[in-house]
This record gives sequence, structure tokens and C-alpha cells, in this order.
Amino acid sequence: MSVLHIAEVTKTFSGGTHAVNSFSLDVADGELVCLLGPSGSGKSTLLRMVGGFEQPTSGRITIDGEDVTHLPPERRPTGMVFQSHALWTHMNVFKNLAFGLKLRRMPAAEIREKVEAVLELVGLAGYGDRMTNQLSGGQQQRVALARSLVLEPKILLLDEPFASLDQHLRERLREEVRDIQQRLGITTLFVTHGQDEALSMADRIVVMANGKTEQIGRPDVVYRDPKTPFVAGFIGTMNLVEGEVKNGHFARSDFSFPLSIADGPATLAIRPEALDLTVSETPKAKVHRVTDYGSHGLVDLDLADGTRLKSMVAHPDLFRTGQGVDLEPRAVAAYRNNQQIFRS
Amino acid sequence: MSEFVERAVSVPAETAAGRRPIGLLLVAIPVFLVIWLVIWPAINAISRTIWRTDADGNSSFDLSSYAFFFSDRYSLDNLAITLWTTLVCAVLLLVICLPIALYLRFSHGRLPAYVQALAILPMFVPSIILAFAFIRVLGPNGMVDILLNAVGLPKIRTPYLTPWGPVIGLVWDNIPLTVLILLSGLGSVANQSIEAARDVGANTLRVFWHIILPRISNSILVALSFSVLGIFSSFTLPYLLGPASPEMLGPFMQRTLRDVQDPIGAMTQAVVAFGFCILFGLFYVRSVAKNRGK
Repeated sequence: MSVLHIAEVTKTFSGGTHAVNSFSLDVADGELVCLLGPSGSGKSTLLRMVGGFEQPTSGRITIDGEDVTHLPPERRPTGMVFQSHALWTHMNVFKNLAFGLKLRRMPAAEIREKVEAVLELVGLAGYGDRMTNQLSGGQQQRVALARSLVLEPKILLLDEPFASLDQHLRERLREEVRDIQQRLGITTLFVTHGQDEALSMADRIVVMANGKTEQIGRPDVVYRDPKTPFVAGFIGTMNLVEGEVKNGHFARSDFSFPLSIADGPATLAIRPEALDLTVSETPKAKVHRVTDYGSHGLVDLDLADGTRLKSMVAHPDLFRTGQGVDLEPRAVAAYRNNQQIFRS
Repeated sequence: MSEFVERAVSVPAETAAGRRPIGLLLVAIPVFLVIWLVIWPAINAISRTIWRTDADGNSSFDLSSYAFFFSDRYSLDNLAITLWTTLVCAVLLLVICLPIALYLRFSHGRLPAYVQALAILPMFVPSIILAFAFIRVLGPNGMVDILLNAVGLPKIRTPYLTPWGPVIGLVWDNIPLTVLILLSGLGSVANQSIEAARDVGANTLRVFWHIILPRISNSILVALSFSVLGIFSSFTLPYLLGPASPEMLGPFMQRTLRDVQDPIGAMTQAVVAFGFCILFGLFYVRSVAKNRGK
């Protein structure tokens, strides 16, 4: 049972920059939570505070009820996997993994047993004698993961571990990491700026911006029901249209849509897959570009004032550049003052 | 069009061909200087010390100058004091410079910048100025003595004209280069590899011993080799600050040549010094090659 509790944690760097601002989060036993946000959103700083590499300016971090806020990294029950692997190149794979166990004065036979078991777990059995520079990027990342896992930490911290890998390897490794995490039932905090990674791996996603939480929720919920325009724009592709609501109608250029909210400015959010197109004699938009991805197509549209929208279509061959089309949103959300005020 | 393409293609080839003589010329100058000023005098000195001409003008193979050097108590004492000074300086340089380099590598802000400037300062102070500054501060009736006297304390036992005089001067003189080389080595130790070690439970001492030290062993070897070679063959500071007897090989050579007017004896001392420097060099090359092979 390993529960991470982060309470009102703030980190202010010299110069007054709030990297993390009054952040709170509870991570349940065995849960994998992704901290997702753009560069500078404070997600890595938060992870480093949990790992003990940064001291919070205020707030409290507890693991299984024990206050670890001011403990140094070497005395925390956490294991961190770094973006750059951070393997020790003067040691072979076995020594990299055994180093932490030796520091704990474990008998040599037990160290060998544990290292071999964890190498087996990450699919690197028999690689113990290799030097780390003889491994591929993916293998190095597995060693880095194994180095953390072999110490059986209560909380596993992953700091953009796949950022330096190619797309194919990234997809494969995230599946493997998720499998291992579920098999071991280890509580995990995972930092990424890749929404695909977050959506495919996390039990819950924490979307961060400017050191604060924008939204916390299950991946499907965050995707389908973004609570702020930032989340709407950050998770997946989203058409965000600024416009005016008057007499129950949202309007921007020639595009209007019935929206039963109070009059005033509003931002309409429509997913490309929820925006249907029909060829029309009285068009609201013009086709700018059609991209065929094989399984589906993406149509770029321009409203009369130049606002660019995207629509996902099943048959891209039905549309061509310059064609006039009518827009039929199937599901929308509306935002005002940074808050969601309508969702269909 | 084809003419244009032909010209465009031929330009780099011409440029490369044109660059080759310039490159060779640039390399030729230092190579010529090394041959003229180092290799030729070395070969000449070695041959003149082992192929001697007697009073009758007959030349023969003769190792008597070396036999004299290695049997003469005074020469051996001079060699011993030179080796002792070199060893003590090397140890002191490591003990002093490694903490400075570690501090500079892992600290941030303005203070480390000032510390670095201070550590590099001796590089811009000529040895002779350094020697006289040493005499004025640590010498008999120097600044330290005056200050001690002012507060009613006895004088210090001055290191001036003792074996510790050259040690202090040479260490001070070699601090900048040693710090810079160690700092450059420490630059290759990534912060994340240190954090990873702390993450698995290593305290500061273990991080230094198991992670940092193996990564900078080559830099330590380079720094020590540079210092050792310079200190072993140094002249100005041992001449100005050291004892008259025993003396380091640099002043010993100069005195043998000028005062005793024994050029063969001085050359023999030079060849012995050269031999030791080659030994240090071979040790350095072997260690670096061994480290690279790991």
C-alpha cells in the first residue's frame, strides 16, 4: 500500500517565478498518474520535488503517511527514471543495477538474484555484462527503468522517459512500462508533454499550466469533457472559435450555431471528429486543404474572416480545395471567463 | 549551363587542393621548431654525454658522466629533492584543486564566479613576481612576521630557502591550470547521473567516490601530468625560493653549467631529467589508454 499525498505545494525560484503554485494531488496505491502540460508548466519541477531533488517553498509531501518534504533523495522511498537515462557509463549493466543494492549492504548472492530477475522483467536477460554504451536507446531506457525497479521503491517517478526515443520505440516501450507497472502494482507518477502517452498509459491525467492544475480526471473524461479552453486546446486536436452569443445563437463570421447561454463573448470548442461537413450552395466555409490519411481524412476549412477549422471525415475524396461547405457540429462545449459554461 | 555546373563542381576540389599546402605549412612551422629546439638538442646532448672525446682527440663510448651522477651523493640528493618536491606538489595540487573544481562545478551564483577568477589569477602573475611576493609575505621580516610582531607573537619559521619554499610557490603557480583541467573534466559529469546516484541511495561521499571520480580520472591524470612535467623541470621558483643545498635539478643544471663550467655534467643532468619526464609521460599515456579501453 503506497499512497502519495501532495498538499498545497508551491515552488518559487529566485526572481519570484512560481514554477508550481499551490498544487495538491493524491495518488492512490498502484495508480499511474500522468502530469501533462507544455514546457514550463511546472510538471518536472513537481516530480523533482517528489523525488527530493528540489525543495518546496511551501506545502507538504507524504508517502504512506510519512512526511518526506525535507528528506534528501537518498532517504526517500522513490525511484526516478530520467529523460536522459542517466546511466553510469563507467559501469556495465549489472553494476548499474547492483549499485543501489550494494549501498544497502545486501549480500552478493541476493544482489545477483535481484538484478537477474529485474533484467528478465524488462526483457534484458543476459545483458548484465554489456557496457551501457553498447546498448540501443530503448535498451538504455529499460536499464534505467530496471535500476529504479530493482530497489522496489514505493513510488516510481518517470520524467519524460521516452522523449529521446523514436516514435515506434516510444509506443512499444510505453506499452511495456504500463504492463510492468500494472504487474508490480507500483504507484507511479509520470511526467510527459505527449498527450498520446498520457491518454494511453494513465489511470488519471493531471493537466498543468503555469504551475497550476487545469484539470484532473480519467483520460477519456479529460478528452471528452475539457473543463477549460486550455485543456480543450491542449488535449487532442480541437477547433476553438472565439465568437459572440446573441439571442441564443453563437456567431463567428458566416458560421452560427444555436447555443442556449447568456449573451456575451464565448469560445466554442468542437472536436474535428464532431464537425460534419456537407457540400452546400450557401456555404459557411471554404475547403482550404484535404489530407487523406488512409483510414480517414482531415479537411482544413476557412471561415469568411479567415478563421481556420478542421474536420475529420470518413471519405476525404468527396471534398476538394475551394469547395463551399456547410458546417454541422454534433457536440460542442462553450467557455467563458476560462470556465466551461455549456456542453452538449 | 553545363559549364556552370562544371565550374561549381570544380571549385571545392580546387579549394581543398589549395588548402593542403597551407595546412602542411602551418603544421611544418611547429614541427620544425620542435625538431630544432627540442629533438635535435636532446639527441645532441645524449650523444655528447655517451660519445666523449678525450684530451688526445679520440672519441669513444663513455658512460662515466652518468656513473658519476648516480654515484655522487650531492647529485642524488638533488634528484631526490626534485622528486620529493614534484610528488608533494602533485599531492597538494590534487588536494587543493579538486575541492575548488568541485565547488565551481556544482555551485551557482556570483560567489563561484569570484572564486574562479581568484583561482585563475596566478596564471597571469609571472613566476618572478610571485617569488618576490612570497619573500615579502613569508620571508624573514616579511608581512606575516610584521603582523605577528604587531600583536606580540613570535616570528614564523619561514619556508623561504627551505624545500617548502619551492613547494608553496610551485603549487600556487600550478593551481590555475590544474583547476581548469579538472573543471573541464567535471563538465562531462552530467547532473542527472549524479541525481540518479542520489536517487538509489548514495550520499555525497559515495557519489564522489563511485560516480564523479571514475568519470574524471583521465582529467586528473592530464592535470597531474602537466603539473608534474612542469614542476620537475622548473627553474625560476626553486632558484629564487629553494635552499642552496640540496637543490632541484633546474638550478643544479644552471649552476653546473655557469658556475662549475661543466657542460657535460649539466647535459647529463638534463638527460636524466628528460628520462624521468619521459617516464611520467609513458605512465600518463598508458593510464589514459587503459581508461579509454575500459
